[in-house]
Amino acid sequence: MTLLVLPLVVSWFAALLCALLDGRRRTVGWLAVALAALLTASLFALLIQVLEQGAQSLIIGGWPEGIGIRLRADALGTLYAAVSLVVLTLALAFEVMSGVVSRTFPALALFLGVGLTGLFLTGDVFNFYVFFEIAMMAAFALASYGEQRAEIRAAAIFTIVNLLGSAFLLIAVAALYRITGTLDMVGIGLVELESRPSLLIATLIFIAFGLKLGLYPFHYWVPAVYQDTRPAVTAILAGALANIGSYGLLRFGGELLPGALAAAQIPLLLLGSLSILYGSLLAVSRRLPREVLAYSSIGQVGYILLALAVGGPVGYAAAVLYALLNALNKALLFLAAELRGPLVAAAFFVGALSTAGVPPAAGFFGKIELFRVGLDAGSAGLLLVVFAGSALSFVYMFQVYQYIFWQPKAPRPTSAGSLRWLALGLAGLVLLLGLVPEPLLEASRAAGKILENAPP
Amino acid sequence: MILLFALTIAVLFGCGAYLMLTRDFYRIAAGAVLLSNGANLYLMAAALSNGRAPIHPLPEGATVSDPLVQALTLTAIVITFAVCALLLSLVVRIQTSHDTLNIEDVAEAEVAEEQQRAEAEDT
Repeated sequence: MTLLVLPLVVSWFAALLCALLDGRRRTVGWLAVALAALLTASLFALLIQVLEQGAQSLIIGGWPEGIGIRLRADALGTLYAAVSLVVLTLALAFEVMSGVVSRTFPALALFLGVGLTGLFLTGDVFNFYVFFEIAMMAAFALASYGEQRAEIRAAAIFTIVNLLGSAFLLIAVAALYRITGTLDMVGIGLVELESRPSLLIATLIFIAFGLKLGLYPFHYWVPAVYQDTRPAVTAILAGALANIGSYGLLRFGGELLPGALAAAQIPLLLLGSLSILYGSLLAVSRRLPREVLAYSSIGQVGYILLALAVGGPVGYAAAVLYALLNALNKALLFLAAELRGPLVAAAFFVGALSTAGVPPAAGFFGKIELFRVGLDAGSAGLLLVVFAGSALSFVYMFQVYQYIFWQPKAPRPTSAGSLRWLALGLAGLVLLLGLVPEPLLEASRAAGKILENAPP
Repeated sequence: MILLFALTIAVLFGCGAYLMLTRDFYRIAAGAVLLSNGANLYLMAAALSNGRAPIHPLPEGATVSDPLVQALTLTAIVITFAVCALLLSLVVRIQTSHDTLNIEDVAEAEVAEEQQRAEAEDT
Protein backbone atom coordinates (compact mmCIF):
# COMPACT_ATOMS: atom_id res chain seq x y z
CA MET A 1 0.00 0.00 0.00
CA THR A 2 2.69 2.47 0.96
CA LEU A 3 4.78 1.39 -2.00
CA LEU A 4 1.94 2.40 -4.30
CA VAL A 5 1.66 5.88 -2.86
CA LEU A 6 5.39 6.42 -2.32
CA PRO A 7 6.36 7.25 -5.93
CA LEU A 8 3.66 9.90 -6.22
CA VAL A 9 4.54 11.50 -2.90
CA VAL A 10 8.28 11.47 -3.65
CA SER A 11 7.75 12.96 -7.10
CA TRP A 12 5.46 15.76 -5.92
CA PHE A 13 7.74 16.86 -3.10
CA ALA A 14 10.82 16.57 -5.29
CA ALA A 15 9.27 18.76 -7.98
CA LEU A 16 8.03 21.37 -5.52
CA LEU A 17 11.39 21.52 -3.75
CA CYS A 18 13.31 22.01 -6.98
CA ALA A 19 10.82 24.62 -8.16
CA LEU A 20 11.78 26.80 -5.21
CA LEU A 21 15.51 26.55 -5.89
CA ASP A 22 17.69 27.89 -8.68
CA GLY A 23 18.23 25.06 -11.12
CA ARG A 24 21.35 26.52 -12.64
CA ARG A 25 23.41 25.75 -9.54
CA ARG A 26 25.18 22.42 -9.60
CA THR A 27 24.04 21.36 -6.12
CA VAL A 28 20.41 21.91 -7.04
CA GLY A 29 20.85 20.04 -10.31
CA TRP A 30 22.43 17.06 -8.58
CA LEU A 31 19.72 17.17 -5.88
CA ALA A 32 17.16 16.89 -8.66
CA VAL A 33 19.02 13.95 -10.20
CA ALA A 34 19.21 12.24 -6.80
CA LEU A 35 15.48 12.72 -6.21
CA ALA A 36 14.69 11.44 -9.71
CA ALA A 37 16.88 8.39 -9.03
CA LEU A 38 15.02 7.84 -5.76
CA LEU A 39 11.72 8.05 -7.63
CA THR A 40 12.97 5.53 -10.22
CA ALA A 41 14.15 3.17 -7.48
CA SER A 42 10.76 3.33 -5.74
CA LEU A 43 9.05 2.55 -9.03
CA PHE A 44 11.30 -0.47 -9.56
CA ALA A 45 10.50 -1.65 -6.03
CA LEU A 46 6.81 -1.28 -6.84
CA LEU A 47 7.34 -3.16 -10.10
CA ILE A 48 8.98 -6.07 -8.31
CA GLN A 49 6.15 -6.15 -5.78
CA VAL A 50 3.52 -6.05 -8.53
CA LEU A 51 5.20 -8.81 -10.54
CA GLU A 52 5.34 -11.03 -7.47
CA GLN A 53 2.02 -10.29 -5.83
CA GLY A 54 -0.24 -9.10 -8.63
CA ALA A 55 -1.84 -5.73 -9.18
CA GLN A 56 -2.10 -3.31 -6.28
CA SER A 57 -5.06 -1.04 -6.03
CA LEU A 58 -6.06 1.75 -3.68
CA ILE A 59 -8.93 4.23 -3.63
CA ILE A 60 -7.66 7.62 -2.59
CA GLY A 61 -9.13 9.15 0.53
CA GLY A 62 -10.85 5.96 1.60
CA TRP A 63 -13.96 6.78 -0.43
CA PRO A 64 -16.21 3.89 -1.42
CA GLU A 65 -15.69 2.12 -4.70
CA GLY A 66 -17.28 3.85 -7.66
CA ILE A 67 -17.00 7.25 -5.98
CA GLY A 68 -13.35 7.68 -5.15
CA ILE A 69 -10.42 7.88 -7.57
CA ARG A 70 -8.60 4.60 -7.90
CA LEU A 71 -4.83 4.25 -8.02
CA ARG A 72 -3.90 1.01 -9.66
CA ALA A 73 -0.41 -0.41 -10.17
CA ASP A 74 -0.42 -3.39 -12.48
CA ALA A 75 2.44 -4.84 -14.50
CA LEU A 76 1.66 -2.72 -17.58
CA GLY A 77 1.55 0.68 -15.90
CA THR A 78 4.39 0.06 -13.47
CA LEU A 79 6.72 -1.29 -16.17
CA TYR A 80 6.07 1.76 -18.33
CA ALA A 81 6.57 4.08 -15.36
CA ALA A 82 9.86 2.47 -14.35
CA VAL A 83 11.39 2.60 -17.86
CA SER A 84 10.15 6.13 -18.58
CA LEU A 85 11.58 7.41 -15.32
CA VAL A 86 14.93 5.72 -16.07
CA VAL A 87 15.08 7.72 -19.32
CA LEU A 88 14.02 10.91 -17.53
CA THR A 89 16.65 10.50 -14.81
CA LEU A 90 19.43 9.82 -17.31
CA ALA A 91 18.46 12.76 -19.53
CA LEU A 92 18.28 15.04 -16.47
CA ALA A 93 21.73 13.84 -15.37
CA PHE A 94 23.04 14.50 -18.90
CA GLU A 95 21.81 18.07 -18.84
CA VAL A 96 23.05 18.73 -15.31
CA MET A 97 26.50 17.48 -16.33
CA SER A 98 26.44 19.69 -19.43
CA GLY A 99 25.40 22.71 -17.41
CA VAL A 100 21.80 23.81 -16.93
CA VAL A 101 21.06 27.18 -18.53
CA SER A 102 17.65 27.88 -17.11
CA ARG A 103 16.39 28.26 -13.58
CA THR A 104 13.46 25.94 -13.97
CA PHE A 105 14.82 22.98 -15.93
CA PRO A 106 15.24 20.46 -13.07
CA ALA A 107 11.86 21.40 -11.62
CA LEU A 108 10.18 21.00 -15.01
CA ALA A 109 11.78 17.62 -15.53
CA LEU A 110 10.56 16.52 -12.09
CA PHE A 111 7.06 17.84 -12.80
CA LEU A 112 7.14 15.76 -15.95
CA GLY A 113 8.09 12.86 -13.68
CA VAL A 114 5.03 13.62 -11.52
CA GLY A 115 2.79 13.57 -14.58
CA LEU A 116 4.27 10.35 -15.92
CA THR A 117 4.14 8.53 -12.56
CA GLY A 118 0.55 9.64 -12.02
CA LEU A 119 -0.78 8.68 -15.40
CA PHE A 120 0.88 5.27 -15.46
CA LEU A 121 -0.34 4.42 -11.96
CA THR A 122 -3.92 5.67 -12.12
CA GLY A 123 -7.05 3.63 -12.62
CA ASP A 124 -9.47 6.45 -13.37
CA VAL A 125 -9.82 7.95 -16.86
CA PHE A 126 -10.30 11.56 -15.82
CA ASN A 127 -7.40 11.34 -13.38
CA PHE A 128 -5.43 9.99 -16.34
CA TYR A 129 -6.39 13.12 -18.29
CA VAL A 130 -5.33 15.41 -15.42
CA PHE A 131 -1.90 13.78 -15.03
CA PHE A 132 -1.57 13.70 -18.81
CA GLU A 133 -2.06 17.47 -18.85
CA ILE A 134 0.45 17.96 -16.02
CA ALA A 135 3.02 15.99 -17.99
CA MET A 136 2.21 17.87 -21.20
CA MET A 137 2.46 21.31 -19.60
CA ALA A 138 5.87 20.42 -18.22
CA ALA A 139 6.82 19.12 -21.67
CA PHE A 140 5.64 22.31 -23.40
CA ALA A 141 7.83 24.38 -21.12
CA LEU A 142 10.73 21.92 -21.46
CA ALA A 143 10.54 22.09 -25.25
CA SER A 144 11.42 25.78 -25.08
CA TYR A 145 14.43 25.15 -22.81
CA GLY A 146 17.38 27.05 -24.17
CA GLU A 147 15.11 29.78 -25.49
CA GLN A 148 16.84 30.33 -28.79
CA ARG A 149 14.76 30.89 -31.92
CA ALA A 150 14.77 27.22 -32.84
CA GLU A 151 13.59 26.07 -29.43
CA ILE A 152 10.80 28.65 -29.33
CA ARG A 153 9.53 27.47 -32.72
CA ALA A 154 9.70 23.86 -31.64
CA ALA A 155 7.80 24.63 -28.43
CA ALA A 156 5.09 26.55 -30.31
CA ILE A 157 4.53 23.72 -32.80
CA PHE A 158 4.62 21.11 -30.03
CA THR A 159 2.13 23.04 -27.87
CA ILE A 160 -0.38 23.71 -30.64
CA VAL A 161 -0.41 20.16 -31.96
CA ASN A 162 -0.67 18.58 -28.54
CA LEU A 163 -3.37 20.97 -27.42
CA LEU A 164 -5.45 19.57 -30.25
CA GLY A 165 -4.71 16.05 -29.06
CA SER A 166 -5.70 16.95 -25.50
CA ALA A 167 -9.02 18.38 -26.67
CA PHE A 168 -9.78 15.12 -28.47
CA LEU A 169 -8.81 13.07 -25.43
CA LEU A 170 -11.10 15.15 -23.23
CA ILE A 171 -13.99 14.63 -25.63
CA ALA A 172 -13.31 10.89 -25.67
CA VAL A 173 -13.25 10.75 -21.85
CA ALA A 174 -16.50 12.71 -21.67
CA ALA A 175 -18.12 10.40 -24.21
CA LEU A 176 -16.92 7.33 -22.30
CA TYR A 177 -18.46 8.71 -19.12
CA ARG A 178 -21.70 9.45 -20.92
CA ILE A 179 -22.20 5.96 -22.24
CA THR A 180 -20.79 3.93 -19.36
CA GLY A 181 -21.71 6.09 -16.39
CA THR A 182 -18.41 5.57 -14.62
CA LEU A 183 -14.90 6.95 -14.75
CA ASP A 184 -13.20 3.90 -13.25
CA MET A 185 -11.14 1.97 -15.80
CA VAL A 186 -12.14 -1.36 -14.31
CA GLY A 187 -15.78 -0.32 -14.37
CA ILE A 188 -15.63 0.87 -17.96
CA GLY A 189 -14.06 -2.40 -19.04
CA LEU A 190 -17.04 -4.28 -17.62
CA VAL A 191 -19.68 -2.41 -19.60
CA GLU A 192 -20.84 -3.86 -22.92
CA LEU A 193 -20.46 -1.07 -25.45
CA GLU A 194 -22.39 -0.78 -28.70
CA SER A 195 -20.17 -0.77 -31.71
CA ARG A 196 -20.86 2.66 -33.21
CA PRO A 197 -20.24 4.85 -30.14
CA SER A 198 -17.23 2.80 -29.14
CA LEU A 199 -15.75 3.14 -32.64
CA LEU A 200 -16.20 6.91 -32.54
CA ILE A 201 -14.57 7.13 -29.13
CA ALA A 202 -11.79 4.80 -30.26
CA THR A 203 -11.11 7.03 -33.28
CA LEU A 204 -10.75 10.10 -31.07
CA ILE A 205 -8.49 8.23 -28.68
CA PHE A 206 -6.41 6.94 -31.58
CA ILE A 207 -5.98 10.48 -32.89
CA ALA A 208 -5.04 11.82 -29.45
CA PHE A 209 -2.45 9.13 -28.71
CA GLY A 210 -1.27 8.87 -32.30
CA LEU A 211 -0.41 12.57 -32.15
CA LYS A 212 1.54 11.94 -28.96
CA LEU A 213 3.37 8.98 -30.41
CA GLY A 214 4.15 10.46 -33.80
CA LEU A 215 2.38 7.82 -35.87
CA TYR A 216 1.65 8.40 -39.53
CA PRO A 217 -0.51 10.45 -40.37
CA PHE A 218 0.00 12.43 -37.16
CA HIS A 219 3.76 12.55 -37.56
CA TYR A 220 4.21 16.00 -39.05
CA TRP A 221 5.33 17.71 -35.87
CA VAL A 222 8.03 15.13 -35.03
CA PRO A 223 10.88 16.19 -37.35
CA ALA A 224 10.48 19.86 -36.48
CA VAL A 225 10.31 19.34 -32.72
CA TYR A 226 12.90 16.57 -32.37
CA GLN A 227 15.42 18.53 -34.40
CA ASP A 228 15.08 21.92 -32.78
CA THR A 229 14.92 21.14 -29.07
CA ARG A 230 17.98 20.68 -26.90
CA PRO A 231 19.35 17.11 -27.03
CA ALA A 232 18.49 16.22 -23.43
CA VAL A 233 14.94 17.45 -24.00
CA THR A 234 14.69 15.47 -27.24
CA ALA A 235 15.78 12.36 -25.36
CA ILE A 236 13.05 13.05 -22.79
CA LEU A 237 10.41 13.64 -25.48
CA ALA A 238 11.32 10.58 -27.54
CA GLY A 239 12.11 8.27 -24.64
CA ALA A 240 9.63 9.19 -21.93
CA LEU A 241 6.81 11.25 -23.41
CA ALA A 242 6.15 9.10 -26.46
CA ASN A 243 5.53 6.23 -24.03
CA ILE A 244 2.32 7.99 -23.02
CA GLY A 245 1.11 7.46 -26.56
CA SER A 246 1.78 3.74 -26.69
CA TYR A 247 0.52 3.21 -23.12
CA GLY A 248 -2.68 5.07 -23.93
CA LEU A 249 -3.29 2.98 -27.03
CA LEU A 250 -2.65 -0.23 -25.10
CA ARG A 251 -4.73 0.71 -22.07
CA PHE A 252 -7.65 2.41 -23.80
CA GLY A 253 -7.63 0.12 -26.80
CA GLY A 254 -6.74 -3.15 -25.18
CA GLU A 255 -8.57 -2.87 -21.89
CA LEU A 256 -11.38 -0.34 -22.26
CA LEU A 257 -12.43 -0.65 -25.90
CA PRO A 258 -11.35 -4.11 -27.07
CA GLY A 259 -14.31 -4.43 -29.44
CA ALA A 260 -13.32 -1.29 -31.31
CA LEU A 261 -9.69 -2.42 -31.44
CA ALA A 262 -10.69 -5.75 -32.95
CA ALA A 263 -12.99 -4.07 -35.47
CA ALA A 264 -10.32 -1.61 -36.56
CA GLN A 265 -7.59 -4.21 -37.08
CA ILE A 266 -7.10 -3.78 -40.83
CA PRO A 267 -6.88 0.05 -40.81
CA LEU A 268 -4.48 -0.06 -37.87
CA LEU A 269 -2.27 -2.61 -39.61
CA LEU A 270 -2.24 -0.42 -42.71
CA LEU A 271 -1.39 2.72 -40.75
CA GLY A 272 1.34 0.92 -38.84
CA SER A 273 2.90 -0.36 -42.07
CA LEU A 274 2.65 3.11 -43.63
CA SER A 275 4.34 4.59 -40.60
CA ILE A 276 7.20 2.07 -40.77
CA LEU A 277 7.77 2.53 -44.49
CA TYR A 278 7.37 6.31 -44.46
CA GLY A 279 9.65 6.82 -41.47
CA SER A 280 12.32 4.42 -42.66
CA LEU A 281 12.39 5.62 -46.28
CA LEU A 282 12.59 9.27 -45.28
CA ALA A 283 15.27 8.48 -42.71
CA VAL A 284 17.38 6.90 -45.44
CA SER A 285 17.07 10.04 -47.54
CA ARG A 286 18.07 12.54 -44.83
CA ARG A 287 21.53 13.58 -43.75
CA LEU A 288 21.56 15.54 -40.51
CA PRO A 289 21.68 13.11 -37.57
CA ARG A 290 18.84 14.52 -35.46
CA GLU A 291 16.58 14.61 -38.53
CA VAL A 292 17.34 10.98 -39.36
CA LEU A 293 16.66 9.97 -35.77
CA ALA A 294 13.36 11.89 -35.83
CA TYR A 295 12.17 10.04 -38.93
CA SER A 296 13.46 6.84 -37.38
CA SER A 297 11.16 7.51 -34.40
CA ILE A 298 8.20 7.77 -36.78
CA GLY A 299 9.18 4.43 -38.27
CA GLN A 300 9.77 2.63 -34.98
CA VAL A 301 6.41 3.49 -33.49
CA GLY A 302 4.74 1.89 -36.49
CA TYR A 303 5.96 -1.46 -35.19
CA ILE A 304 4.18 -0.85 -31.89
CA LEU A 305 0.93 -0.21 -33.76
CA LEU A 306 1.38 -3.39 -35.82
CA ALA A 307 1.82 -5.52 -32.70
CA LEU A 308 -1.12 -3.79 -31.00
CA ALA A 309 -3.40 -4.30 -33.99
CA VAL A 310 -2.68 -8.03 -34.13
CA GLY A 311 -3.40 -8.27 -30.42
CA GLY A 312 -3.66 -11.44 -28.43
CA PRO A 313 -1.16 -12.37 -25.72
CA VAL A 314 1.77 -12.41 -28.15
CA GLY A 315 0.75 -9.13 -29.79
CA TYR A 316 0.25 -7.12 -26.63
CA ALA A 317 3.46 -8.41 -25.03
CA ALA A 318 5.40 -7.59 -28.21
CA ALA A 319 3.90 -4.09 -28.32
CA VAL A 320 4.93 -3.38 -24.71
CA LEU A 321 8.43 -4.82 -25.21
CA TYR A 322 9.03 -2.92 -28.45
CA ALA A 323 7.73 0.37 -27.02
CA LEU A 324 10.04 0.20 -24.01
CA LEU A 325 13.08 -0.92 -26.00
CA ASN A 326 12.42 1.87 -28.49
CA ALA A 327 12.30 4.39 -25.64
CA LEU A 328 15.70 3.26 -24.35
CA ASN A 329 17.18 3.18 -27.87
CA LYS A 330 15.99 6.64 -28.75
CA ALA A 331 17.24 8.11 -25.48
CA LEU A 332 20.66 6.54 -26.09
CA LEU A 333 20.82 7.66 -29.72
CA PHE A 334 19.72 11.24 -29.12
CA LEU A 335 22.18 11.65 -26.25
CA ALA A 336 25.12 9.90 -27.95
CA ALA A 337 24.64 11.80 -31.22
CA GLU A 338 25.70 15.00 -29.44
CA LEU A 339 28.93 13.71 -27.99
CA ARG A 340 32.36 13.19 -29.46
CA GLY A 341 35.39 11.39 -28.22
CA PRO A 342 36.64 7.89 -27.49
CA LEU A 343 34.03 5.18 -27.01
CA VAL A 344 31.05 7.45 -27.81
CA ALA A 345 30.98 5.86 -31.24
CA ALA A 346 30.68 2.49 -29.51
CA ALA A 347 27.74 3.72 -27.46
CA PHE A 348 25.99 5.07 -30.56
CA PHE A 349 26.80 1.83 -32.37
CA VAL A 350 25.02 -0.18 -29.67
CA GLY A 351 21.96 2.03 -30.09
CA ALA A 352 22.14 1.62 -33.86
CA LEU A 353 22.34 -2.17 -33.55
CA SER A 354 19.40 -2.13 -31.17
CA THR A 355 17.26 -0.08 -33.56
CA ALA A 356 18.11 -2.35 -36.45
CA GLY A 357 17.44 -5.43 -34.34
CA VAL A 358 20.88 -6.99 -34.44
CA PRO A 359 22.14 -9.13 -31.55
CA PRO A 360 23.57 -8.75 -28.93
CA ALA A 361 21.70 -5.47 -28.47
CA ALA A 362 18.29 -5.57 -26.81
CA GLY A 363 16.41 -4.53 -29.94
CA PHE A 364 17.03 -8.01 -31.31
CA PHE A 365 14.46 -9.42 -28.91
CA GLY A 366 12.01 -6.70 -29.83
CA LYS A 367 12.30 -7.70 -33.47
CA ILE A 368 12.06 -11.41 -32.60
CA GLU A 369 8.79 -10.78 -30.77
CA LEU A 370 7.49 -8.82 -33.74
CA PHE A 371 8.36 -11.65 -36.12
CA ARG A 372 6.55 -13.96 -33.72
CA VAL A 373 3.50 -11.71 -33.91
CA GLY A 374 3.63 -11.89 -37.69
CA LEU A 375 3.90 -15.69 -37.63
CA ASP A 376 1.11 -15.86 -35.06
CA ALA A 377 -1.14 -13.80 -37.31
CA GLY A 378 -0.13 -15.96 -40.25
CA SER A 379 0.39 -12.93 -42.43
CA ALA A 380 3.19 -12.86 -44.95
CA GLY A 381 2.60 -9.17 -45.62
CA LEU A 382 3.24 -8.33 -41.99
CA LEU A 383 6.51 -10.26 -41.95
CA LEU A 384 7.55 -8.56 -45.16
CA VAL A 385 6.87 -5.09 -43.74
CA VAL A 386 8.78 -5.85 -40.53
CA PHE A 387 11.69 -7.23 -42.52
CA ALA A 388 11.73 -4.30 -44.95
CA GLY A 389 11.60 -1.84 -42.06
CA SER A 390 14.47 -3.60 -40.30
CA ALA A 391 16.59 -3.61 -43.45
CA LEU A 392 15.94 0.11 -44.02
CA SER A 393 16.70 0.91 -40.39
CA PHE A 394 20.01 -0.89 -40.73
CA VAL A 395 20.80 1.28 -43.77
CA TYR A 396 19.98 4.63 -42.23
CA MET A 397 21.59 3.82 -38.90
CA PHE A 398 24.80 2.97 -40.69
CA GLN A 399 24.53 6.15 -42.75
CA VAL A 400 24.11 8.30 -39.66
CA TYR A 401 26.92 6.52 -37.81
CA GLN A 402 29.18 7.12 -40.78
CA TYR A 403 28.11 10.78 -40.99
CA ILE A 404 28.82 11.52 -37.34
CA PHE A 405 31.78 9.33 -36.46
CA TRP A 406 33.72 8.67 -39.67
CA GLN A 407 34.36 12.27 -40.63
CA PRO A 408 37.81 12.76 -42.15
CA LYS A 409 37.55 16.52 -41.56
CA ALA A 410 38.31 18.30 -38.28
CA PRO A 411 36.15 16.72 -35.60
CA ARG A 412 34.38 18.60 -32.83
CA PRO A 413 36.18 18.76 -29.49
CA THR A 414 35.94 15.76 -27.18
CA SER A 415 33.00 15.96 -24.82
CA ALA A 416 33.36 15.85 -21.06
CA GLY A 417 34.27 12.51 -19.59
CA SER A 418 31.22 12.31 -17.36
CA LEU A 419 28.87 12.75 -20.33
CA ARG A 420 30.64 10.00 -22.21
CA TRP A 421 30.38 7.70 -19.21
CA LEU A 422 26.65 8.38 -19.05
CA ALA A 423 26.21 7.45 -22.71
CA LEU A 424 28.35 4.36 -22.20
CA GLY A 425 26.29 3.42 -19.15
CA LEU A 426 23.05 3.63 -21.13
CA ALA A 427 24.65 1.62 -23.94
CA GLY A 428 25.76 -0.92 -21.35
CA LEU A 429 22.18 -1.15 -20.10
CA VAL A 430 20.91 -1.82 -23.63
CA LEU A 431 23.61 -4.47 -24.12
CA LEU A 432 22.81 -6.02 -20.75
CA LEU A 433 19.14 -6.23 -21.65
CA GLY A 434 20.18 -7.90 -24.88
CA LEU A 435 22.36 -10.47 -23.12
CA VAL A 436 19.96 -11.11 -20.21
CA PRO A 437 16.54 -10.37 -21.64
CA GLU A 438 14.49 -12.64 -19.39
CA PRO A 439 13.39 -10.05 -16.79
CA LEU A 440 12.13 -7.62 -19.40
CA LEU A 441 10.53 -10.40 -21.45
CA GLU A 442 8.75 -11.78 -18.39
CA ALA A 443 7.57 -8.34 -17.36
CA SER A 444 6.26 -7.53 -20.83
CA ARG A 445 4.46 -10.87 -20.98
CA ALA A 446 2.86 -10.15 -17.61
CA ALA A 447 1.78 -6.76 -18.96
CA GLY A 448 0.36 -8.34 -22.11
CA LYS A 449 -1.53 -10.90 -20.04
CA ILE A 450 -3.32 -8.09 -18.21
CA LEU A 451 -4.75 -6.79 -21.47
CA GLU A 452 -5.53 -10.27 -22.68
CA ASN A 453 -7.37 -11.12 -19.45
CA ALA A 454 -9.38 -7.93 -19.35
CA PRO A 455 -13.09 -8.78 -19.29
CA PRO A 456 -14.50 -8.66 -22.83
CA MET B 1 -31.22 20.96 -24.96
CA ILE B 2 -28.83 18.41 -26.36
CA LEU B 3 -29.38 19.88 -29.82
CA LEU B 4 -28.52 23.34 -28.53
CA PHE B 5 -25.35 22.06 -26.92
CA ALA B 6 -24.40 20.13 -30.05
CA LEU B 7 -24.91 23.16 -32.30
CA THR B 8 -22.90 25.40 -30.00
CA ILE B 9 -20.05 22.90 -29.79
CA ALA B 10 -20.13 22.55 -33.57
CA VAL B 11 -19.91 26.32 -34.05
CA LEU B 12 -17.07 26.61 -31.53
CA PHE B 13 -15.20 23.73 -33.12
CA GLY B 14 -15.73 25.04 -36.62
CA CYS B 15 -14.51 28.53 -35.77
CA GLY B 16 -11.60 27.11 -33.79
CA ALA B 17 -10.58 24.78 -36.60
CA TYR B 18 -10.83 27.59 -39.18
CA LEU B 19 -8.69 29.89 -37.06
CA MET B 20 -6.10 27.17 -36.45
CA LEU B 21 -5.62 26.83 -40.20
CA THR B 22 -4.83 30.51 -40.79
CA ARG B 23 -1.46 32.16 -41.16
CA ASP B 24 -1.13 34.26 -38.05
CA PHE B 25 0.16 32.66 -34.86
CA TYR B 26 -2.11 34.81 -32.77
CA ARG B 27 -5.16 33.55 -34.66
CA ILE B 28 -3.94 30.01 -34.26
CA ALA B 29 -3.73 30.54 -30.50
CA ALA B 30 -7.25 32.00 -30.51
CA GLY B 31 -8.47 28.98 -32.46
CA ALA B 32 -6.83 26.69 -29.93
CA VAL B 33 -8.67 28.50 -27.13
CA LEU B 34 -12.01 28.13 -28.92
CA LEU B 35 -11.36 24.46 -29.62
CA SER B 36 -10.44 23.68 -26.02
CA ASN B 37 -13.51 25.47 -24.77
CA GLY B 38 -15.61 23.52 -27.23
CA ALA B 39 -14.19 20.36 -25.67
CA ASN B 40 -15.03 21.67 -22.19
CA LEU B 41 -18.61 22.35 -23.29
CA TYR B 42 -18.79 18.80 -24.62
CA LEU B 43 -17.68 17.60 -21.22
CA MET B 44 -20.54 19.50 -19.61
CA ALA B 45 -22.96 18.07 -22.13
CA ALA B 46 -21.94 14.56 -21.10
CA ALA B 47 -24.17 14.76 -18.04
CA LEU B 48 -27.29 16.43 -19.34
CA SER B 49 -30.12 14.86 -17.44
CA ASN B 50 -33.39 15.99 -15.95
CA GLY B 51 -33.52 16.33 -12.24
CA ARG B 52 -33.25 18.59 -9.26
CA ALA B 53 -30.09 20.49 -8.50
CA PRO B 54 -27.79 18.29 -6.41
CA ILE B 55 -27.77 20.53 -3.33
CA HIS B 56 -28.55 19.42 0.23
CA PRO B 57 -31.16 18.95 1.63
CA LEU B 58 -32.78 16.69 -0.94
CA PRO B 59 -36.23 15.11 -0.56
CA GLU B 60 -36.24 11.31 -0.49
CA GLY B 61 -36.46 9.57 -3.85
CA ALA B 62 -35.91 12.71 -5.96
CA THR B 63 -34.00 12.32 -9.20
CA VAL B 64 -30.90 14.46 -9.14
CA SER B 65 -28.79 15.89 -11.94
CA ASP B 66 -25.29 14.52 -12.17
CA PRO B 67 -22.88 16.85 -10.36
CA LEU B 68 -19.71 14.88 -11.17
CA VAL B 69 -19.28 16.35 -14.60
CA GLN B 70 -19.47 19.89 -13.25
CA ALA B 71 -16.44 19.08 -11.08
CA LEU B 72 -14.64 17.55 -14.06
CA THR B 73 -15.38 20.66 -16.13
CA LEU B 74 -13.92 22.92 -13.46
CA THR B 75 -10.69 20.96 -13.63
CA ALA B 76 -10.74 21.00 -17.42
CA ILE B 77 -11.33 24.76 -17.53
CA VAL B 78 -8.35 25.37 -15.25
CA ILE B 79 -6.17 23.11 -17.38
CA THR B 80 -7.32 24.79 -20.59
CA PHE B 81 -6.66 28.22 -19.11
CA ALA B 82 -3.14 27.26 -18.05
CA VAL B 83 -2.22 25.71 -21.40
CA CYS B 84 -3.60 28.67 -23.33
CA ALA B 85 -1.67 31.07 -21.11
CA LEU B 86 1.49 29.09 -21.88
CA LEU B 87 0.64 29.12 -25.59
CA LEU B 88 0.14 32.88 -25.59
CA SER B 89 3.47 33.40 -23.85
CA LEU B 90 5.08 31.30 -26.60
CA VAL B 91 3.36 33.47 -29.23
CA VAL B 92 4.85 36.56 -27.55
CA ARG B 93 8.30 34.94 -27.62
CA ILE B 94 7.91 34.16 -31.33
CA GLN B 95 7.06 37.79 -31.94
CA THR B 96 10.09 39.04 -30.03
CA SER B 97 12.53 36.55 -31.57
CA HIS B 98 11.33 36.49 -35.20
CA ASP B 99 9.73 39.97 -35.44
CA THR B 100 6.77 38.44 -37.20
CA LEU B 101 3.75 36.32 -36.39
CA ASN B 102 3.24 35.11 -39.95
CA ILE B 103 3.72 31.35 -40.27
CA GLU B 104 5.30 31.57 -43.70
CA ASP B 105 7.99 33.97 -42.49
CA VAL B 106 8.75 31.80 -39.47
CA ALA B 107 8.98 28.77 -41.78
CA GLU B 108 11.42 30.64 -44.01
CA ALA B 109 13.53 31.45 -40.97
CA GLU B 110 13.48 27.76 -40.06
CA VAL B 111 14.59 26.69 -43.53
CA ALA B 112 17.34 29.32 -43.54
CA GLU B 113 18.62 28.15 -40.17
CA GLU B 114 18.59 24.54 -41.32
CA GLN B 115 20.63 25.42 -44.39
CA GLN B 116 23.10 27.26 -42.21
CA ARG B 117 23.36 24.24 -39.98
CA ALA B 118 23.90 21.92 -42.94
CA GLU B 119 26.62 24.19 -44.30
CA ALA B 120 28.28 24.40 -40.90
CA GLU B 121 28.32 20.61 -40.69
CA ASP B 122 29.85 20.36 -44.13
CA THR B 123 32.75 22.73 -43.47
